[in-house]
Amino acid sequence: MSVLIVAEHLRGELRPITLELISAARELEGPVAVAVIAKDPSALTDAVDVEGVNEILSVKVDQEEFENDVYQQAVERLIGQREPQVILLGFTVNSMGYGPAVAAKLGLGFASDVFSIDGAAGGPVATRAFYGSKVHAEVEFPGHDRVMLLLRPTAWPPAEGAGSAVEEEVSVSISGSLARHKEFVDVATGDVDITTADFLLSIGRGVGDKENLPQFEELAGKMGAILSVSRPLVDQGWMPNSRQVGQSGKTVKPKIYLALGISGAVQHLAGMKTSGTIIAVNTDPEAAIFSVADYGAVADLFEVAEELEKLY
Amino acid sequence: MCVKQVAVLGDEVEFTADERDVDPDYLDYALNEWDTYATEEALRLCEAAADGEVVVVSVGPEDAEEAMRRCLAMGADRGIRVDSDAWLDPIQVARALAEVVRAENPDLVFAGVQSADAVQAATGTALAELLDLPRVAVVTKIELGDGNATVNRELEGGVLDVVEVDTPALLTIQTGINEPRYATLRAIKQAEEKEIDVRQPGDLGEPAYQVKKMFVPPKGEGAEMLNGSAADVAQKIKEIVEEHTG
Amino acid sequence: MARDPKYDILFEPIQLGPKMMKNRFYQIPHCNGFGSEKPMSQAYFRAMKAEGGYGACCTEYCSIHPESDDTHRVSARLWDDDDIKNLGLMCDMLHEHGALAAAELWYGGPHAPCMESRAVPRAPSQIPSDFEHLTYPKEMDKDDIREVQGFYVEAAKRAREAGFDIVYVYGSHSYLPQQFLTPYYNRRTDEYGGSLENRARFWRETIEQVKDAVGDDCAIAVRMSTDMFMGEAGTQLERDCLPFVELVDDMVDVWDINVSGISEWGEDATPSRFYPAGRMLPWQKAVKDVSKKPVLGVGRFTSPDLMVEAINGGSLDIIATCRPSISDPFLPLKIDEGRLDDIRECIGCNICISRWEIGGPPLICTQNATAGEEYRRGWHPEKFDPATNADNDVLVVGAGPAGMECAMILGKRGMRRVHLVEGSDDMGGIMRWVPQLPGLGEWARVVNYRKIQIDKLRNVEFIPNTELDADGVKDYGAELVVIATGGYWATDGLNGATHDTIPGADASKPNILTPEQIMRDGKEVPGKRVVIVDNDGYYMGVSLAEKLAAEGKQVTIMTHLGHHAPYMHFTLEAPNMHRRLHQLKVEMVTYQMPTQIGNGGLTSAHVYDEEHLTEWEADAVVLVTQRRSNEALYRELKDKVGIDTLSSEGITGFYRIGDCVAPRLTADCIFDGHRLAREIDSDNPEVPLPFKRERAVIEREAVLTA
Repeated sequence: MSVLIVAEHLRGELRPITLELISAARELEGPVAVAVIAKDPSALTDAVDVEGVNEILSVKVDQEEFENDVYQQAVERLIGQREPQVILLGFTVNSMGYGPAVAAKLGLGFASDVFSIDGAAGGPVATRAFYGSKVHAEVEFPGHDRVMLLLRPTAWPPAEGAGSAVEEEVSVSISGSLARHKEFVDVATGDVDITTADFLLSIGRGVGDKENLPQFEELAGKMGAILSVSRPLVDQGWMPNSRQVGQSGKTVKPKIYLALGISGAVQHLAGMKTSGTIIAVNTDPEAAIFSVADYGAVADLFEVAEELEKLY
Repeated sequence: MCVKQVAVLGDEVEFTADERDVDPDYLDYALNEWDTYATEEALRLCEAAADGEVVVVSVGPEDAEEAMRRCLAMGADRGIRVDSDAWLDPIQVARALAEVVRAENPDLVFAGVQSADAVQAATGTALAELLDLPRVAVVTKIELGDGNATVNRELEGGVLDVVEVDTPALLTIQTGINEPRYATLRAIKQAEEKEIDVRQPGDLGEPAYQVKKMFVPPKGEGAEMLNGSAADVAQKIKEIVEEHTG
Repeated sequence: MARDPKYDILFEPIQLGPKMMKNRFYQIPHCNGFGSEKPMSQAYFRAMKAEGGYGACCTEYCSIHPESDDTHRVSARLWDDDDIKNLGLMCDMLHEHGALAAAELWYGGPHAPCMESRAVPRAPSQIPSDFEHLTYPKEMDKDDIREVQGFYVEAAKRAREAGFDIVYVYGSHSYLPQQFLTPYYNRRTDEYGGSLENRARFWRETIEQVKDAVGDDCAIAVRMSTDMFMGEAGTQLERDCLPFVELVDDMVDVWDINVSGISEWGEDATPSRFYPAGRMLPWQKAVKDVSKKPVLGVGRFTSPDLMVEAINGGSLDIIATCRPSISDPFLPLKIDEGRLDDIRECIGCNICISRWEIGGPPLICTQNATAGEEYRRGWHPEKFDPATNADNDVLVVGAGPAGMECAMILGKRGMRRVHLVEGSDDMGGIMRWVPQLPGLGEWARVVNYRKIQIDKLRNVEFIPNTELDADGVKDYGAELVVIATGGYWATDGLNGATHDTIPGADASKPNILTPEQIMRDGKEVPGKRVVIVDNDGYYMGVSLAEKLAAEGKQVTIMTHLGHHAPYMHFTLEAPNMHRRLHQLKVEMVTYQMPTQIGNGGLTSAHVYDEEHLTEWEADAVVLVTQRRSNEALYRELKDKVGIDTLSSEGITGFYRIGDCVAPRLTADCIFDGHRLAREIDSDNPEVPLPFKRERAVIEREAVLTA
């Protein structure tokens, strides 16, 4: 299957999702082309030149940063020109802005938040979740020669290895961008909404004393995580309920949930078990949290926390 | 304002005989969470302008009117339902909505970023294409201007992209953009009485995908245990975190 | 939903002597205030637990003879054939559900003051009771010993006849058999005192005789305290208990193991304030290590994970519960059905125990408003008749304990729509900040349980951040309105002692504070020296004293009473509370009432010598004088807006519940909300329906003509 990947970048840096798309494309065993749409594509082409990529399509545009209409027009043009069977985008905020539009305009097959693709049957069969991730389904695209898939970030590992792709410059004329980037604003961390955090560092009864909280707040900050807690810490009044993960607090689904000193009461698990990657540290090897964790360590959370602090 | 009544699955599940969907007995229904935020935002903009009308549009069977009435109870003025009982993909939904929305000649079209049940995050943007409207997806702030609007687009990692978009436009609204108001019982009762206009869908075209098989995800084998000293564990955790933050 | 296989062990049957128990859930003997003389309430109460899945349920302590009469406290009695009839009903009802019935045969010795029977209790040595200080026992000679052992045998036979499957020879809590075992109670120099073998003799012989009499038909249970924490004078684990276990193990079918004596039995029935669940596991394990028989015991177990750990870890064979069975009789079934989030967990407040300690009243439970009401009001904790007026919308104003309970039960009864509207950003009311007092974290379960249940109810919507005024309520669109706006601590020093305010008491000043100002509003407690004026009688004053002293303040707590927090004697929290405050160097002042509060402190007078004034320097004065109802909204609606206007707006029912009617225990607030919801479709829901009273009603004519 021939694949066209649209690279994603922000502020001059390639986003890791792009390399994950390449890993996915490699599984489909066909020619893989990566489109780099940017003001200066050459700054990014090296980063996408990894093993498995046959062609890099450099599309120079006037706009510094992502804009819907620019990408839509560029991608439509590329699809018309290259006629790929599969178009891979990341399931990202950027893609949400133009991917479905391209699919609607060109009558493509379409599915998003895909985390597995089977290329064996001649046309792709994609696996995605339904009903709030409670069930999975294999979906197919009968009657579509061309299919656009938006892939779930971190479902594939980033592709590695030096590549030997052929670079081609493709010129596309963009007829006006109706939604124009003005500037970026970095969000200061105030009282946060743990339900939208990508990375939660969550602490439980294991932290023992209120005096130990600042240490974990600091660690969370260093690691780029938001601090959340299990119910007992809120019951004690050490943290507000807005930080509580669990049935009587909030349900969270971050990419990473690092649980330190949480045993995993049923009500807590209900609030976080559909998180992307769950890492749990607890001194009790029988702790229920290990039954939902992807990675676990039977260790003292203070020792691990101290070591983590040295690394950040 | 495009809204959806989403299906909610509890902890138990059974599938239909053809294994392509969940047995409807196991499903409950509710207004899509994103749509309460979108409705609230629409109401606020109209209130701030001391003018305007919020029209709620949805594609679904008669039961879906319950979700629409939540929006009416919040203060939306009118509701239009495009009648359909079928499993539709987001582009088909967009086609079903397009004619109705176009006829209303709106200044702004809102949709939720995604639906809680299918999570395709596609209907809004596909609809914008069919209506030939400028669009921005994943909006967390809106300021109306003259012939355009300045909106914040929320990227991964919390970075905000400030975008100027020509209006009329379609915006997909993210949760947390505001605090949705609650409807009093009086408003809920009044919304019950309101007439919802029902239309038939036109040609919805070929489906963009088809479910081949639906199943309960296999249970994991349990956690991969990280061994070694606290320092080893910490090192491994750092690596895992780096691998998984996009 | 299915049972999680890791809990399978809890559902494995186990043999107890001649009887088979169907699972590992055992309701340990505990009081309920019903005894043998309210047999319907007793039987319905116990049977509810069997319906909820318990494999065995016990009576409370069951007196074997009029010499063991605990009046004013209520025990069960098996004195005569009529008692067999009355108490036997519980056996029948338990058996219907496949549960075993156990009778905890009890002889109290001097701890039982015999205020009804006017008999004289017997004991190994003549020393007044450390529990009932005015009661002296008769010192037993050998004839007395034989006689009293005979009482056990006769009672055991009556128990068998009543249908009991298990009979106890109960010694825990310093009752007679354990009195013989313990030097503190036993100063004898004959073969029943002195060495361990001698001290053990009475108990061993009694077990033997009871076993001979009924052991083929009934399992023999022995309840023993393994350590009274009284040093060498009390029972000790290694010196007395473990050897005793080895001595009689062959005769015993099941061991019921706990700790403590009677005067501080809060070390056994541990308040959550001081102890986590499973406190006694180490002692229970020590016994299990030397015994070949099944061992059971309590530990305020609510978590199935902890239960499984206790069994797999070799500490217990059977999980016994008392308080968790009161707060949720359906605990076993909910674990079996995988409905763990429906478990209504015990909060360890010991309000249930307090009613027995007071002596007389039936038990109540903070978490479970139906506890004790199974017969009296016909309430079932899991079954709710659909309301006949369900076609109505309800507005509940205030999501504190009363409001949450009312909304939840109305939801379960199928009211069309219930809106639970709350001014703050979350549910809980006072239970949002009370659990933040030292040690009270588990009390937050009151909120957690209701939050989860309300979340599940499709017809109940929780609306936070919405402060409704009278117009807001009137125009809300509900047909039924329930005001549940709670209470507050008096800001002017109004109190139950003087029935007046305290001159100078004004909590709007920075140096004068009330409990919720400190705990909920974050008002700063200025300076270092704090005087707490405590006219309350329950936990608020002393809890604040503990909190502020732990934060480094120099705290004086002053009460007009002779004791601080007298109610905490009933909840068994007093001894450790006093220890805590003593450790924190809190100055405890009694019999003093403030006469004037100023900027630098206050002046107080001795309650019995008003001329005797004392000056106290204080940077902050905390007023814990009395509570008031937040009835402003209700009054405005009733008095200003008027019922007629409300009617014309479509409001057909207007009620209020909880502290906003009159401040009271959280248990009673929850009861209030529950009752209104249960009776929302009665003719006049504001007036509680009559409850059944178990009493003898005479035929007057028949008596006079007889």
